[in-house]
Amino acid sequence: MTTDAMSGNEPTRRGFLDLALGLLGAISAIGVVYPVGMYLWPRVDKKEGDETRSMKLPVGDVPIGEAKFVRFLNKPAVIMRPNEQEIYALSAVCTHLGCVVKWNDAGKDLFCPCHGGKFDVKGNVLGGPPPKPLPSFTAKIENEYIVVAEA
Amino acid sequence: MEMNTLELGPIKIKNRLLIRIFSALDDRLGLREILNDEVFEKISPAYLGLWSCFGGITFFLFINQVVTGMLVMVYYQPTIEQAHASVAHIMNEVPFGWLVRGMHAWGSNLMIVTIIIHMAKIFVHGIYKAPRELNWVTGVTLLLLTLGLSFSGYLLPWTQLAYWATVVGTETPAAMPYVGEYIRFAMRGGDDISQVTLTRFFALHVMIMPVTIAAVIGLHIAQIRRQGIAGPL
Ligand code: FES
Repeated sequence: MTTDAMSGNEPTRRGFLDLALGLLGAISAIGVVYPVGMYLWPRVDKKEGDETRSMKLPVGDVPIGEAKFVRFLNKPAVIMRPNEQEIYALSAVCTHLGCVVKWNDAGKDLFCPCHGGKFDVKGNVLGGPPPKPLPSFTAKIENEYIVVAEA
Repeated sequence: MEMNTLELGPIKIKNRLLIRIFSALDDRLGLREILNDEVFEKISPAYLGLWSCFGGITFFLFINQVVTGMLVMVYYQPTIEQAHASVAHIMNEVPFGWLVRGMHAWGSNLMIVTIIIHMAKIFVHGIYKAPRELNWVTGVTLLLLTLGLSFSGYLLPWTQLAYWATVVGTETPAAMPYVGEYIRFAMRGGDDISQVTLTRFFALHVMIMPVTIAAVIGLHIAQIRRQGIAGPL
């Protein structure tokens, strides 16, 4: 064996060739890892409601006393009109472990099917495991349209 | 008892960490013995030339098929509504999809070529003769499995070419007396080529035949290792 190039002495032919071989190996490895990584990395098709900071829908879509689930800021959201005057828009993603909450028509509130979390129309926790209220958005009615925007 | 240099056949390792990792594995698994017996002692004889490499090249191409096949399967959808669209998506939209699927499709063709060359060499040199007859048997089994994999894979893009090739390919065995009709029925999973056909071809192509062929390849190689590579005549 000649002296190991790694030991920091005189550079040797062997040391140089080892390094060259290592570099070639590294380049080949990148040549495999890069295309495979690019191939596997998901490309999400943009859905309606994605990337918009606000959304608009006709008033008739959300009847009084009912809820409508929409997609807002890439995530599920819910719009509710408990009566003529009030309108609320909340994130529909449960603050416990991320299930999508459901509208409970009997109690006129929201409940989470995963572990029984309960929220009122303003997003406050009424019971169950969720630690925080549902994040809310601003919602108002402007000439026959409901406009939802980031709070 | 720290070693400074680890000698493994022709390889010398000086890196301390590598030596320690190797020693730890060697103590527990007897790695050195496996490497000596199975690798260093079995370095191919020098008289083997290019024509002796085609079995190994075919094996390499098989590994290529497995790896690129796994990748293609990440985006492929085996339904008659989605199959063609998902293949088009792989080819046109997924980054490097053309490359991955191209390697899979071309690899399958190349595999047939290298198998024919491998087989021709074995035949011309007469090394299928005793005591290696069983190698010939597993080898021909591998040829048939490779053709089966090619045939089942051909349907999956669900193009006109794929569809009609499968019509013809399943019609051919139907010409056999007595059993032909039943074979066609079993292959198609019914009277016509349908979703059922696509699903069974998909199952054959991605699971049933690959697992089978891997087992037979293992047997084929084990036979060679046991008997040694035949010398020139
Ligand atoms: S995720 Fe909603 S209660 Fe657990």
